[in-house]
Amino acid sequence: MAVRELKIGASGVRGVVGDALTPELIVNFACAFGTWCGAGPVVIGRDPRRSSTAFRAAVVSGLLSTGCRVIDLGVGASPLISFAIRELGAAGGIAVTGSHNDASWNALKFFGPDGALLNAAKNEELLDVYHGAGFAFAPWDRLQPVEAAPGIEDRYLAHLAAGIDVDAIRDRRFRVAVDFTNGACGAVASRFLESLQCTLLPVNAEPTGEFAHPPAPTPANMRQVAALAKCFDADLGAALNVDGDRIGFVTADGAALSEEYSLPLSAMARLRRRPGTVVTSFSTSGMVEALARAHGQRVIRGPVGESQVVDLGLAEGAVLAGEGSGGIAVLPGDVAYDGLLALALVLEEVATSGRSLADLASSLPNLVMRKRELPCPPNLVYKVIERFRRHHAKDSPDCTDGVRLEWDDSWLHVRASGTEPLLRIIAEAPDRERAEALVDDAAVFARRTTFGHEGS
Amino acid sequence: MAQPLSLKIGPSGVRGIVGESLTPQLVTSFAAAFGTYCGAGPILIGTDTRPSGEMVKQAAIAGLLSVGCTPVDVGVVPVPALMFHVRAVGAFGAISVSGSHGSPEWNALRFIDSDGLALRVNQAAELTDLYHQGVYPRVGALEMSDVRADMTSTARHLEAVTRAVDVERIRGKAFAVAIDPKGGAAALPARQLLESLGCRVVAVPQVDRARAFTGAEPDEADLAALSALVRTSGADLGFAQDVDGDRLSIVDEHGTALDMDAAVVLVVQRWLDRRTGPVVVNVATSRMVDDVAARRGCPVHRSRVGEAYVIEAMKEHGAEVGGEGNGGAVVAPVNPCRDSFVAMAVILESMAVSGHTLGGLFGQAPRYAMVRERLVCSARDIAPSLRLIRNAFRGERMDLTDGVKVMWPDRWLLARPSATEPVIRLAAEAPAESQARSLVHGLLELLSPGA
Repeated sequence: MAVRELKIGASGVRGVVGDALTPELIVNFACAFGTWCGAGPVVIGRDPRRSSTAFRAAVVSGLLSTGCRVIDLGVGASPLISFAIRELGAAGGIAVTGSHNDASWNALKFFGPDGALLNAAKNEELLDVYHGAGFAFAPWDRLQPVEAAPGIEDRYLAHLAAGIDVDAIRDRRFRVAVDFTNGACGAVASRFLESLQCTLLPVNAEPTGEFAHPPAPTPANMRQVAALAKCFDADLGAALNVDGDRIGFVTADGAALSEEYSLPLSAMARLRRRPGTVVTSFSTSGMVEALARAHGQRVIRGPVGESQVVDLGLAEGAVLAGEGSGGIAVLPGDVAYDGLLALALVLEEVATSGRSLADLASSLPNLVMRKRELPCPPNLVYKVIERFRRHHAKDSPDCTDGVRLEWDDSWLHVRASGTEPLLRIIAEAPDRERAEALVDDAAVFARRTTFGHEGS
Repeated sequence: MAQPLSLKIGPSGVRGIVGESLTPQLVTSFAAAFGTYCGAGPILIGTDTRPSGEMVKQAAIAGLLSVGCTPVDVGVVPVPALMFHVRAVGAFGAISVSGSHGSPEWNALRFIDSDGLALRVNQAAELTDLYHQGVYPRVGALEMSDVRADMTSTARHLEAVTRAVDVERIRGKAFAVAIDPKGGAAALPARQLLESLGCRVVAVPQVDRARAFTGAEPDEADLAALSALVRTSGADLGFAQDVDGDRLSIVDEHGTALDMDAAVVLVVQRWLDRRTGPVVVNVATSRMVDDVAARRGCPVHRSRVGEAYVIEAMKEHGAEVGGEGNGGAVVAPVNPCRDSFVAMAVILESMAVSGHTLGGLFGQAPRYAMVRERLVCSARDIAPSLRLIRNAFRGERMDLTDGVKVMWPDRWLLARPSATEPVIRLAAEAPAESQARSLVHGLLELLSPGA
């Protein structure tokens, strides 16, 4: 039996469109969510993937059947959905978006009444309703028509502008190259940059849902925008994820920065304006720690993933939360990863510091990150991690999410993949040799543990 | 608490109560099964005005897209316009989301084939098999199609209806027509059609369109408001369509509600005057049709009750006109399905050409009285009951097309099992109501003595 490429877990439901991710499954989840929300208004939006149209219909149907008021933003970025939930006082929201996954995938992201992705506890409640399948269907006279939210985009843009130094950015008349990845953000981002009196050099701006390159904003996927920035004399460039929750940056001379830079670059403007704690994941680069230290602030790390990082950030009263994947949330007001807001922060930093993006990036410590994935049977993953923990007991490991070891200038994180039968090994150090040695040693250790068990 | 048995999956589609049995899950799966049955092409989807229409439609759209079909949203449309549009645009099929005459908590899916007709019984059985197997050939994200919108179906349908009649003659009469729109899908296009035929339209006042929707069946009792309006407004006649727009009730110029069979009688009468030929009606339709056809030398063939059976028999016998005694008239060359719009236009043409009033037209055929009863009967008792009737009337002329019909020169008696309920439907027609009633009572006495 072939593996069904479906994942129902902490970050909602996602899978390969077809036999795995079916409209019936989506209808069931929408009914569960409608039941969980208790008929309150639910804000929905979708990315421009073709399959999002089908799943949007399934979501609308399921929500209406449970008596929910449905406020449909149409093609809309995830951060816009989060904003609309807060602005309209909705009971929750659903984004139909495959986000950073390739075009054959799709997913539902569930937002709570606070506009943040459901945290672990709320997500478990939702899954209980889903598995119990006791949906609260509404009688015919409680079914509502689908509503729109006219003007919500204007209010979102006004909200973004209120959090940054608009005048400083306007004065610079920046030229900004942006790759929209044929996603949901093109129109709203164009309006925003226009309001900041930036000249936009767009690429892949049409919301076709057919992606010119894989959607994650990694250096390999930012070659187009890097070339554009360089050839057309941009001050900087950026690539937004399909649903606008992640961002990567390129410099004026066309160098694509690792998406690990997005958090520390955003933190520069944020900590200057509002000093406070920064929350990130165990697997994110230590660059942000160096930066926070320079501002006299601390960094708290937690398990990987937007819902967990934001949840921890809210609990810790942080002013910024984000990850090495390029997702940044400006807490406490904006509780969802928002690529546009991160872009605005970086523009503000470039404008007020008078330094180029390349210059700002080079002010961060030069760290080398190495990642490796080892295939590991699901029944052995925890055995490997446990042995690894015991092996390093003297290094006071953090065991919140796998095993994380930290030294003065380097760290190593070994964890089970949440989505595949893999062991993920990540290390960061000031030089390549040290980073590679950390990863290689961990891999050798893991192999020794699984040796003889594989194929058994 | 869910009512048991509120879901009905059968030859005429899927019917259920919203919030109980007609869930979005069920609709999505059935739409995926129907998309599988039709193949990956355009599938029209239209609704009536029920508040649950949007929920059901979105679920159907999701199911259709998942198997590679292109759902074409045609909005709120009467069923005959949807059926017409299937052929007009060469769609692979259509889904009608309409609870028809059911009360507002009901809704239903009716499946329409690429020929613009409801699925026939064997086709519906294939669809149900696909649904029960529950394995649909889903397409991947890259092969998935998109939803299209097409709001032209009503206009194109009305254009075809007006093209089929002598518009100038009708306009010349400037008829005053009273209508009872009932808030259904037929309400708006009915007014458009009548105004395009030069009629002055007065309507029974409507309250809030969606919420006040009663979904009542257009029976004679339901025509009181329309009758009163005809009298007070001095209209030439009154029309009431059912919410789907396939059936038509008629009130004459005196405000008298005519029998449910009047539409098919009047349409057959007019169409045979234009062109003689065979006629097909179902076994439960008034024998007024036989008299009208006989006078014009045309044969009448009888089919089982149900639109699909009537249409099949019309094809078989090469009949252009026919229908059912419940108000559903069919003029195949214009639109081969029950179509109240066609019926209204043809009846107005008949009045315009003949110069008769509606009462005068209908009075041309001998009148009969029809009496109908329903007898609740468990499924396993139906066949023995029908056998009992056959034995009781041994030696009489009989038609076993649908249940048992016993015929005498000027009257008949029919007992047939309902397709939707555990019920035997009884009907009798005779020159006088007392005669018809005594025929039905005789049957009741036979089947449930002492009841």
